[in-house]
Amino acid sequence: MVDTLIAGLLRGNVYALGAVGISLVFGVMNVVNFAQFSFFGLGAMLAWFFVAEVGLSFWIALPLVLVICAGLGLLINITVVRPLTKFLPLAAMLSTYAVSQILDNASQIAFTAQFRVFPKVLPTSNLHLGNMRFGTSDLVMMGVTAVVMGVMAIFLKYGKIGQAIRATAQDQDAALQMGIPVGRIQHVAFVIASALGGLAGVFIALYVGVANPTSGLNVGMTAFVAATLGGLGSLGGAVVGGFVLGILEAFGIHFFGDTAREIIIFFVLIVVLIVRPGGLMGKVPLLSTEPLTGTFLGKGRPLRIPRWVWPAAFVVGGIVIPLVANNYVLTTGTQVLIYAIIAAGFTVTAGQAGVLALGQAGPIAIGAYTSALMTLYLPLSFWEALPIAGLSAAIVASILASPIWGVKGHYISIATLGIGTVIVAIIRLVEPQGIYGIPMPKWGDTLLSTPVAYYLIDFGVLVITLLVMWRIRHSHLGKVIASVGSDEVAALASGVRVRDYKALAFAISAFFSGVGGSLLAHQYTYIDPTIFTMLMSLLVVTIVIMGGVSLPYGAVVGSIILIGAMELLRFTPELRIIVYGLVLILVVRFRPGGILVRNS
Amino acid sequence: MKLPTIYRRRLTAVVLAASVTLGLAACSTASAAGGPSASDTVYFGVSAAITGQYAQYGQQFKEGFQLALDQVNASGGINGHQVGLKYEDSQSDPKQSVAVAQKFVGDTSVSLVFGDYSSAASIPASPIYTAGKLLQYGFNNSNPAFTAKGSEYQWSTSITTSASYEWTADYVKSRGVKSVGVTYLNTADWGIPAYNAFKAEAAKIGLTITDAEGVLDGSDDYRPSLTKAVGGQPDAFVHIGYGPDAAKIVSQLRAIGYKGTFYGGQDEASFDGTPDAAGSIVGAQFLETSSDSAVQAFVKAFKAKYPNEQHVTGFEAGAYDALNVAVAAAKLGGTTRDGILKGFQQVKDVPSVVYGKITFHTTTRRVASPQLTPTILTGGKWVEYKG
Repeated sequence: MVDTLIAGLLRGNVYALGAVGISLVFGVMNVVNFAQFSFFGLGAMLAWFFVAEVGLSFWIALPLVLVICAGLGLLINITVVRPLTKFLPLAAMLSTYAVSQILDNASQIAFTAQFRVFPKVLPTSNLHLGNMRFGTSDLVMMGVTAVVMGVMAIFLKYGKIGQAIRATAQDQDAALQMGIPVGRIQHVAFVIASALGGLAGVFIALYVGVANPTSGLNVGMTAFVAATLGGLGSLGGAVVGGFVLGILEAFGIHFFGDTAREIIIFFVLIVVLIVRPGGLMGKVPLLSTEPLTGTFLGKGRPLRIPRWVWPAAFVVGGIVIPLVANNYVLTTGTQVLIYAIIAAGFTVTAGQAGVLALGQAGPIAIGAYTSALMTLYLPLSFWEALPIAGLSAAIVASILASPIWGVKGHYISIATLGIGTVIVAIIRLVEPQGIYGIPMPKWGDTLLSTPVAYYLIDFGVLVITLLVMWRIRHSHLGKVIASVGSDEVAALASGVRVRDYKALAFAISAFFSGVGGSLLAHQYTYIDPTIFTMLMSLLVVTIVIMGGVSLPYGAVVGSIILIGAMELLRFTPELRIIVYGLVLILVVRFRPGGILVRNS
Repeated sequence: MKLPTIYRRRLTAVVLAASVTLGLAACSTASAAGGPSASDTVYFGVSAAITGQYAQYGQQFKEGFQLALDQVNASGGINGHQVGLKYEDSQSDPKQSVAVAQKFVGDTSVSLVFGDYSSAASIPASPIYTAGKLLQYGFNNSNPAFTAKGSEYQWSTSITTSASYEWTADYVKSRGVKSVGVTYLNTADWGIPAYNAFKAEAAKIGLTITDAEGVLDGSDDYRPSLTKAVGGQPDAFVHIGYGPDAAKIVSQLRAIGYKGTFYGGQDEASFDGTPDAAGSIVGAQFLETSSDSAVQAFVKAFKAKYPNEQHVTGFEAGAYDALNVAVAAAKLGGTTRDGILKGFQQVKDVPSVVYGKITFHTTTRRVASPQLTPTILTGGKWVEYKG
């Protein structure tokens, strides 16, 4: 038991360092910074480079790594994040995701994707406490963290800049009026956060022994959850959250196995958020706006689309493309269409109800598995399984998500991310083997297995989806859901049961995600849990934001751009992701409300 | 009149972004249409991870392919035709490997496709290759289902996980080990079938598994799982997984004070360079230090072409072999898609740096009776273990 506790403390140590950085940036800028994830991997690789390749001593390499990370952090804030927060935090968040993609791939080009052996700078197994072995290396890491945290605490409490950081976190406008240079303070916070990320990365590499440019991803995710658990914006909370999560995770793995890791992390998070919606040490937000609330409805107006565009788009998409395009374009087209279906359904939740749910991979997986299992083991055809897949995704996801609708603000995004991850993790636990030989759709006796057939099926489903969404938007129900999104307090005051309508919106979105999952399953004919990742969820969110968050037809445009662009960029495989990230940043920079939304 | 300026700027930006995208599109079509389109070149497609988390392996494959390609073309190609490779990045992601498959099927100049790296990306693409009557050579796909559930168009020269871990159980038992602690990758396409084969064989021969823990290769900290796995004080430890995760596991296993022999790991740079990995034992197909003259010639040529690479592993060797097998089949059956399929059904005794000689078992479409050699890691190199 003591060994497990020590293992938990060591891992909590790293989480705490990362979580402090995330919380710090969130506090002063109100932005969830995905780029922070990349600093873990980058810190590890830089340290490896300086120590193993250049031959510097570890104690010279460490400050070098911190300086480089801090400098990069400053650069990112100046060029990307800060200019975008002026528009809206959501755009900034999306752009930090793009930045993290760019950083990871740049680091991969610089250091290659190979796992590298991190030199043993300090003994890792020279001490013991009873049966439990640990090393000087572990003690040094704990010591450094303690010192860093102590210095940070004193700096924030007594330092002039520290006080300014706290003031900015409390109220940006008030701080500005008191003469605090908010812009510079935000730079400082970003610099500190990036350096802490780099430090955590070095520690991960020290502790784990090998590193590659993407090895920070898991720790980053967990650190992010730790920051939320402690209360976003609360630095003490981040430290507590980090250690609590580290220890609970270690015991959880001891009892339930490594496979249950994600379930444990997110289960802890969801329970904490239900009991304390503002995190362990954060303030419970009484009146907080959802990240999406009001922003698009208030700040942007959808471009007016001339009437002739609809039949024209129908003819081009449904008749011209299937007739003239080759199989490669059609197969890419099926992917575009399926994601458009999922994303169009998602606009009810993200756009109208204003809930930025981050876990759509969950309902997609439910739909895919339901449909696959029903057509394989029950005498049901694809056509019958398709709507049932949607229904079961809506029902299961709604039941699982039912406790979280009291959670507000960014917390609900992370709670839904948790729900999505837990769904996939449970599937992996129950049915880790992939499912093979999922039957292809049939019409009578004809097997619909050609790209054209798939394309037409998906196109038909998309047209129905868009009609349903259009109907919902213009119905009484749609107006009520939109009222929740544009002003939750006013809606509540008018007697709208806000929680229930959010849940309903989520269920509608989950239905279409399930339908999309079913379509994917029957076209791949093989599914396993590795297909339904967090990246899939993020892709859905990105598509929706790209097109204009409350516009179902915007999702089609977003899907064409994001999935089509990945294919177009094939001519430069090495730079593909980087160019993709840059295009994403440019679009967000010039059209922060979405391609089809004009800023006003 | 401030507003119009802003609008004009916005418009310029949008137009700029759009024209960049269109420009890129134009470039991509141009590059697809151009290039050496001489009709006498035979093209093979490669669907592999060039970016993303598996890019490391894509790079290794590329080096192996390129070396074989140089040699084949230098010695006259396939009956006078030069051989070329077309790479497509799938990130080993099924969403993309499916699109890549369709692209290759639609490209009539491609007569065979290598890949993908992982079975999770290869298997979803299989129906497309089958429908396009294009041979999918999953030379790295050790999941038995790739060929077993595939059609006559799916072939592989990778030893199946079940075969290699049955061998491991037998070998561990033959070393006088009575009990083992086990960790295995909890992945559908690889680790679980491998562990099931190991478990079944262990039960058959009376090797006790004190505890088995499923782990994920993306995790960093395995200590909670490992303290449990060695809680029953097994004689030895078996890890069913890849190189980087084995490197983490063996380091952490030693850090918590376990001293038994570690059966696991892979000939891969990060594992080979991990100090705690020394003394690990695995059954290997390809052995860089082998005294076999064909292997030595391959290793020498490889290091001459890539002076920065310190090691040659099974990944490069597998890709090198795969290209030679494909060329041998094309020489036999012809360079068309049909011809290559016929070639695969007939080809015999292709010289191989992994197996010595490759002959396919025509119903399993895998290498007939592959052999493994016990190897031990000493001084960062794998050598044959005769202890």
